[in-house]
Parts: sequence; structure tokens; C-alpha cells
Amino acid sequence: MNDFYLIRKNLTRNKLRMSLNLFAIFIAFFLFGALGSIKNAFDAGVDLAAADRLVVVNSISFTQTLPVAYANKIKSIEGVRKVTWANWFGGYYQDPKQMAMTFIVDPESYLDVYSELQLTDNEKNRWFNNRQGVVVGEQLAKNYGWEKGDRIPISSNIFSLHEGGHTWDVVIDGIFKGETEGVDTSYMLMHHKYFFETQAYPGEWLGWLTVTTADPELNETISRAIDQQFANSSAETETTTEAAFNKAFIEQVGDIGQIITLVVLAAFFSILMIVGNSMMLSVRERVKEIAVLKTLGFPSARVFIMVLAESLLLACVGGLLGSVFAEVMIGGLTQVPAITRIFPNLVITAETWMTAVFLMLLLGCLTGFFPALRALKLKTIDALSKG
Amino acid sequence: MSALLPQIRTVVSMNILSLPQRMWMALTTLLAVAIVVAVLLAFLAMANGFQTTVKNSGSDALGIGLRAGSQAELNSGLSNEQVKLIVEAPGIKRNADGPISSAELYVVVGGVRKSTGLEANLSLRGIELDGVALRPGVEIMEGRMFTPGKNEIVVGRAVWRDYENFEIGDEIRLGTANWRVVGIFSANGGVYESEIWTDVRTVQTQFNRGNTYQVVRFALETPGDVEKIQAYSDNNPQLNFDISTEKEYFSEQAEGIFNIIFYIGWPLAIIMALGALAGALNTMYTSVSQRTQEIATLRAIGFTGLSAFIGTMVESLLLAILGGVLGTGAAFLFFDGMQGSTLGSSFTQIVFDFQMSRESLVSGMQIAVLIGLVGGFFPALKAARIPVVKAFSMQH
Repeated sequence: MNDFYLIRKNLTRNKLRMSLNLFAIFIAFFLFGALGSIKNAFDAGVDLAAADRLVVVNSISFTQTLPVAYANKIKSIEGVRKVTWANWFGGYYQDPKQMAMTFIVDPESYLDVYSELQLTDNEKNRWFNNRQGVVVGEQLAKNYGWEKGDRIPISSNIFSLHEGGHTWDVVIDGIFKGETEGVDTSYMLMHHKYFFETQAYPGEWLGWLTVTTADPELNETISRAIDQQFANSSAETETTTEAAFNKAFIEQVGDIGQIITLVVLAAFFSILMIVGNSMMLSVRERVKEIAVLKTLGFPSARVFIMVLAESLLLACVGGLLGSVFAEVMIGGLTQVPAITRIFPNLVITAETWMTAVFLMLLLGCLTGFFPALRALKLKTIDALSKG
Repeated sequence: MSALLPQIRTVVSMNILSLPQRMWMALTTLLAVAIVVAVLLAFLAMANGFQTTVKNSGSDALGIGLRAGSQAELNSGLSNEQVKLIVEAPGIKRNADGPISSAELYVVVGGVRKSTGLEANLSLRGIELDGVALRPGVEIMEGRMFTPGKNEIVVGRAVWRDYENFEIGDEIRLGTANWRVVGIFSANGGVYESEIWTDVRTVQTQFNRGNTYQVVRFALETPGDVEKIQAYSDNNPQLNFDISTEKEYFSEQAEGIFNIIFYIGWPLAIIMALGALAGALNTMYTSVSQRTQEIATLRAIGFTGLSAFIGTMVESLLLAILGGVLGTGAAFLFFDGMQGSTLGSSFTQIVFDFQMSRESLVSGMQIAVLIGLVGGFFPALKAARIPVVKAFSMQH
């Protein structure tokens, strides 16, 4: 008969109470995993932003455009390595409600700067040489069931064609994947030459530019140099790091992260109370047995560890079940287009998992500590003489 | 049967009077229920507040014309000629000066939020004076209306309150020009309060927009009826407008965000309620097992099983309802009237107040009572079935 046998027997003595506690812990960790993944989805833009990338937008707001000449002017600034640019297209597929986020880009330089978007050389070459071609993110392709080689109509809610209408015919030359799991692939890239040849407004323009710097240390100097170059012109620029740009955007959506943290905290707090109380109760009920164990010569420390281990076991089993369920459910949700259109990159990261395991241990220790302490300090005589 | 009521009264009072013995367990349940209710109410207040704000903005008596397919003002683009043609459509109200209409231009500018010190997107709307008169509920709270042709702005109440440098008399740089704040306006708490208004022609000049517009608003002859105007646009090859009432336009804009808040809030509350339910069941089973001997003794002296059942149910419901009340109170204290803001469909800020509605208060109490009912039912069943012989057996 080893200690583990005793721990297990103690834990399963009141099966109903154990199941209820397990269930409460299960819920807490399920919420932690599920909400954590939503928070990740929002933060991905900041966490995955490259340290050496700067975003240049019109200083009035990013909805205002910039002259095409800016690309070359910025390229000649010292410390700038690569420059690419993009335009907002405002795309949808068939029905205005079916968003299909589309950027109008210069293919070669865009893929060079955004190296986390992965295509085979074959796909790249085909796209570079095919003006009507587009490359589509894996997630977006999945949302609408598109495949390589498909000819699809993409409509714009901003621009019109020369010949009238808002719908461009494009061919899918490739489907890009993200270098890591969290990279957003819920958009597509369209050839800028094809767009400007066919659209109805006069002239060409840039929506924003992305610049890579030789060294992240130089970011600030280069940002200032870029903004100074265009100061007092009719289109002043505002240059920030990619991370800061994404963060500012997310913050405007509302402090989702904070709300989620608050909810998870609230859930944890109530579950901590539920499980903690029930552990206290079960130790109280077992006072006599613990006294007997001590009389038999079990050292106090061993009894302490046994009680603590009991709640740790409970927390870990419930926590793991909850986390695994969250993982399965998020995996399922990412197959549902309606969900992925709102949250493009739902994923439970390794970091979330590690935090979950840490929280399981914390929950186990917190809920087990006081009951274990009570068992430790228990005076055998008092306990046995009671009742 | 006549003895049943006094029996129940006795058992209920025994249950309740013995609560202090289980104080911590009882408090746990109470708090768990309170947290569930507070979280649900917070989400509902957010969804409700957002919806009210956006709905309050739209009027049935106003029509709005956008370039076909553009969906949001920011995406739309209209030429001066198109605007001049469309306002002649039948179904648009006229006065001595012609059709009552306002062609508007909408640009996104930056403002610094007082709470965070960070920049956020604000809408600067170029508008015609007719457009101000068109919108019901718009009132200048302080100062005066802008003078057309001058770089003067009037500021919505929410912008004035939440952003820096929008006091009357302040000079502020928006885009590439300086503007003087001359007035602050309210608009029934609607979306317009998150906007800055000035003369449309000044915006065209200062932002190099030539003689173009994004949206045209007009008074409708018959409120709610835009069909004739849509038909007029469809039959004229020079025009391609999507016409809707302003009310329809805003409800459509609000739908997406409302759904997100609403459909995160409810599942979340239900999952948390399941956790609280586990706690409630635990508490009530403990309550029953602690009182096994007491209940059995009562049975032995002729109390019915039903009275034991009801006693436990009442205890459970009492805890849940107290928890519900506590949660509602906390939600009121912390969330009602709290300010939220988010990006609308035109990438600009919409400021709204959290708002508790009567329906959401009812929903909150319903979920509390449900936890109490289910959490009490099974333990109560157990209590009702305690055999009389337990009264005479040793504890455990």
C-alpha cells in the first residue's frame, strides 16, 4: 500500500463531490483555453510583427492615399533595406456580406518583405508573370472552398472598372501558408498592374508602404527621416513600427484583451472558492482518519504532502481535461467559415498551454494548502477524543 | 394535508437558521452565482448600449444614398453631377429652395484619447447646413454652428468629452490644416456624437477632394419609403445609387458588432453558470448530508418527505437569488453607464454607454434562479429519500 493508493482512495471516497469539483475545474480551464485563443487572435498582429518592419501611412489617417513616387524616395533613405507598398481593395465574394480581404500589391517586393508568407517557387513564378493572378491565404481559400487554378470573381466595395461594374475576374495562382501557426492567412493579394490598368479612377496611388530596416536599432531614426522628408508636402507621412501600428489598430477595436482577462479571472476566482471549500470540508470529515494515520506513525510532513497531492491531482486532472477539450473545440471552430471570418487565426499557443499547466499547479496548491496545514497541525489526542 | 404547511415552515426555517454552520460553502455558492450574473449583465449591457447608440442615430424620415455596392460611407464616392441628379428624384421632400438634402464628405482624422493618451480615428464629416437641420435631435449644447467657408468645426459631445483639445476656442490640427472649435452638439446619444462636423466645401478644399462627395442625405416625403428614389436611380443610366432609410443603414452597420458581443456573452455566461452549478450542487449535497440525522429524526416524528424536499429547495433558491441580486448590484455599480468605444465599419470610433435593459436584468435573475433550482433539486430529492432509520444510526 503506497501513498498514491491512499491519495486516490481519499479522492474517490465521495465520488459525487469529486465529479462536481472536477467539472468546476474543467470549466475553468476550458474557458481559459478558449478565451486565451481569442485573445491570441487579437494580439497575433502585435506578437508576430517583425522587429525590423516599419509601416508608412498618410499622416491624416491610413484611409488617405500617398503618391506612387514615395516608394523610390523612401528607398534612397539611408538604412532602408526593402520597400514595398499595398492598397486596400475592399473585396467581397459574390455577396457584399461575404468579405474577402484583398490587398493590391507589387508581387515581388511584397513577398520579399513579408517573408512569412510561404509559396512554392513554382507558384511564385506563375503569379509574378500572370497579371490576372492572385495568391490566396490558406484560411481564406478554406472559407470559400477555393483551390489553385480556380477562376473567381472578386468585387470591390470601393472601386469600379473602366468598363463599368465592380467585379474583377482573377485566377488563383497559389495558396500561401503562414510560416508559423499564428500568421494571418485570411486575405488575398492581387497584382497592382492588373488593378490600375482596369480601374476607373484617374492615376495611381499607394495605400501604405512597408519598409524593412537594416537594424531594428535604427527604426526610430529612419522613421523620423521618412516623416521629415515629406513634412510640409501635400501628403505628409506617419511612420511607426509594424507592432505599434497593429497595436494601435487593436486598441481602437476596444480593450478585448482586458475584458477577457477579467472574465477568466472571475471564473477562476469562483472555482477556486468552490474547490477550496470542498477540500476543506473533506479534510474536516476525515479528521479522525488523519489522526489514526498519525498514530500509526505517519510523519506529519507525509500527511501534509498527501493532502496537498490530493488537491494537486484533482486540479491537474480537471485542468488537463478542460484544456484538451478547449483544444478540440477550437480545432473544430476553425473549420467553421462563419467563425474564421470573425477570428481568422484562432489557436491555443504553446504559451497558453504552459500558463494553463502553471495555473493547474497553482490552483492545486492554493486549494490544498490550508486543508493540508490543518492536517499537519492536527493534534492526535484532540481529534480522537472528539465526538 | 393540513399539517403540511406548518411542517414546511418548520423545515425551511431549520434550513435557513442552520446556514451559518455552512457559512463558507453557502457564501461560495452565492458569490459564484453573483459572478455569473455580473458577467452576463456586463456583456448584455455592452451589446445593448452599442445597439441603442447606433439605432438612436437613424431616422426613418431620412433617406441616404451611397454609390451602389459600397455599403459604408467611407467606401462610397459620388460626383457633384450625380448628387445634383439624385436629389431631383420623386419622393424627396422639397421646400421653397428646392429639395431638402445634404451632400456630405467623410474623412478619417486622428484625435488623442484623454483616458489613454493614444491616438484614435475620428470622423470629420463635411456637411451642408441643411444636413444639420435634417437630422432630428441635433442640438448645439454650447457655442454656435460653424460658418460655411471657414475652418470652423462643431464637435459631438462624446468627442468633446473623451478627446483632448476639443474645448470651445481651441485650435486643433486635423489633416493638414488648423481648425477652430466653435460649438459642441448633442444628437440623442447617437453615433453622430462621436463625429466632428464642418462645412463640406471646406473639407473638399482642405483634403484635396475636388468636387466629390461620399454620401447624400435627404428628407423623405413619406417616412420609410425610398422605393421611388431607388427606382429613379435604377432607371437613369448616369446614376448607380443604393438608397436606404438612415434607420436601415445604421441597423445594418450595427448588426455585426452587436452579434459578436451578444454571441460571446451568452455562451460565456452559460459555461460559467455550469461551473457555478457544480458549486451549488456541492453546497447543497453537503447541506443535506450534514443534516441527515436531523432530517431523519423529523421524518421519524411524522414530517413528510415533501417537507424535507422543499426545505432544501428553498435554501438553494435563497442562496441563488441572493447571489443574483448581489451580481446585479455589482454589475449596476461597475458597468451601467460605463463608456465603451469600438471601431465602426468606417474605421472610426463609435463611443457608446453600457446600458442595462430590463430584459437583461430579467435574464440575469433567470439564470440565477435556474442555478438555484437545478442545484437544489437533486440534493432535495436525496433529502426527501433519507430513510427514517438513519435517525438512530451513529453518524457516518
